[in-house]
Amino acid sequence: MGWARLPAAEPALDAVATGATAAPAATMPAGRAGPATDVVGLGRWRALGFVTPGLVLIGVFLVFPALWTLYIGVTDYRLTGTAARAPQIVGLENYRRALTDPTFYRSMWLTLVFVLGSAVLGQNLLGFFFAYALRPARPAVRRLVEALVLLAWILPSSVVAFLWIAMLDRDGGTVNVLLGQVPGVAWLIEYPMVAIVVFNIWRGTAFSMMLYSAALSGVPPSQLETARLAGASTGQTLRDVILPNIRRYALTNTLLITLWTFNDFTPFLLTAGGPNHRSEVVAAYIYNTAIVGGEMGYSGAISLLVLLVNLLLALVYLRVARVRPA
Amino acid sequence: MADVELRALTKEFPGGVRALDTLDLTVADGEFFALLGPSGCGKTTLLRTIAGLEAPTSGQVRIGDRDVTGLVPGARDVAMVFQDYALFPHMTVLDNIAYPLKIKRQSRPERSGRARGVGANLGLAALMDRRPAALSGGQQQRVALARAVACHPSVFLFDEPLSNLDARLRLEARTFLKRLQRELAVTTIFVTHDQAEALALADRIAVMEAGRIRQVGTPREVFGRPANTFVANFIGSTPMNLLPGVVSGGGVAVAGGTLTPSTITPPTAPGERVIVGVRPEYVSLSTTPVDGALTGEVSIIEHLGAVSLVTVEADGALIGATVPEDREPVPGSRVWLSPAPGRVLIYRESDGELVT
Repeated sequence: MGWARLPAAEPALDAVATGATAAPAATMPAGRAGPATDVVGLGRWRALGFVTPGLVLIGVFLVFPALWTLYIGVTDYRLTGTAARAPQIVGLENYRRALTDPTFYRSMWLTLVFVLGSAVLGQNLLGFFFAYALRPARPAVRRLVEALVLLAWILPSSVVAFLWIAMLDRDGGTVNVLLGQVPGVAWLIEYPMVAIVVFNIWRGTAFSMMLYSAALSGVPPSQLETARLAGASTGQTLRDVILPNIRRYALTNTLLITLWTFNDFTPFLLTAGGPNHRSEVVAAYIYNTAIVGGEMGYSGAISLLVLLVNLLLALVYLRVARVRPA
Repeated sequence: MADVELRALTKEFPGGVRALDTLDLTVADGEFFALLGPSGCGKTTLLRTIAGLEAPTSGQVRIGDRDVTGLVPGARDVAMVFQDYALFPHMTVLDNIAYPLKIKRQSRPERSGRARGVGANLGLAALMDRRPAALSGGQQQRVALARAVACHPSVFLFDEPLSNLDARLRLEARTFLKRLQRELAVTTIFVTHDQAEALALADRIAVMEAGRIRQVGTPREVFGRPANTFVANFIGSTPMNLLPGVVSGGGVAVAGGTLTPSTITPPTAPGERVIVGVRPEYVSLSTTPVDGALTGEVSIIEHLGAVSLVTVEADGALIGATVPEDREPVPGSRVWLSPAPGRVLIYRESDGELVT
């Protein structure tokens, strides 16, 4: 069905096709799928030619690494040494090890704290607050705040990580100078989790803010005005009109920022997982295991476990989003 | 139960647009009052200012014997029905109707009982547990009405309450609305751009243009004696004939003929330029010559059901006349038109105001 047989279009398309090359469409064997002529007149082979570069890129950078991770997860493959040259298949040994490894559980726990603190609560609430508070503001004020918040989001990770390291430095850091104590607190060493949570809130709030701005502008004004005419307070209006109207947006936003934060590597640039694994979220743990520790096989197994957790989270959210309120 | 009084009400939006221009108006207690006008005339702004959703730049809004100008909407004891009904999609019909009562801290059994009672009166008894998405447009409209009725306000404000219904349903809803208002006898102000709706529903109509009221009157007054050419143009399902003319001797020279004093009261000084207004319904058409009639050729015939609108070209002017469906003239034939006695209106050309 569909584009394959458009009688009116065919002659012209063939003319275009034959004009350039040796009539790929015309010389195609007319199989069950019919002549490989489409509305654009490319023919099957040239169409494939256009798609191939994209497919190759996806294959090389997405499919192959994923399969490779699956493979090395069941080997003892290392970065260096004999196991690097001739890795042995060890079956599920890496998975057994991960599931009995307290460091892995600690990294999962830290990730949970990181995700809940910085994304589910931090970015979500702060983003909603910005969006809500900026609604009645003058356009100039709104645009300025939005631009500043967005700036934190669009700057490259390495740049902002360096800025934060400079800001939180013990000896000459901006925060300590502002607090009037030099040398002061070594923030990244004494409060590493707090530091990366605050950092990630600052970094990622822009997305939630923009999403909630759009969601709030979709709340019908007449519903808000009906609440006003009934005499509803701000809190009642939020509870009865605004939140029910933006519920689906909130769930989508929470799902997205949860997954992003779960897999976010930027905390590593601030604390490298330290000191003494105290801020080693899974992304940092995998990196430390694979690149610093050289245990590629083990890190491959952990990566797969993390992927499964990601899938589970997504399923839970999609399930919640489908349920209608009672 | 209360009257509504507006004193020198002005609303200027940022950027200098004057939506309401020193407007004075009194709506009597229990009256069904229509604000009618083309889009952008300020009628919705006026309604929203009475509700308190817009703050006036200057002037006063009084409801009953209270000055409510500075009060928030919730303290004004008014209920509004919006064009899109503004039902809460996540609440059942029952919860929607009971919502204002919930805000007023009535207990659950009390507010549910009242909501069910009002809902049953409006034919919603079987739908109380549904959500708005599962209702037809007409049912949604009745839920919105029920929500307004349930909180027993002293004034109802309706913003184009019928315009989202299809034509057939609109007629039913119109009758329903009028009966409801009669029974409740609550002062009701409603906004519409549909002159037929205003004529059918309202006790009195205010016709608005560019932030001002051009005429206030009963439907009969507004239809029969429009105070100016704007109102004359706006009211009536077939447009009124408005023909330029010149006062001469005992009559008015218009469309190649002269209307003599037997049909019109001669106005003002001879030589003055005027506009003669007469509704097509008040023009009789004859296929044989009539003394003192205007004459011309039939150019178009439009069927309107029981009557047809005949457009006649007379000396360059187009004049409409309605005829019964079985009395249509032949297109292209010569006909004679005479306005009904006492139905011809004369407007000054300079400002468009009614002279006589």
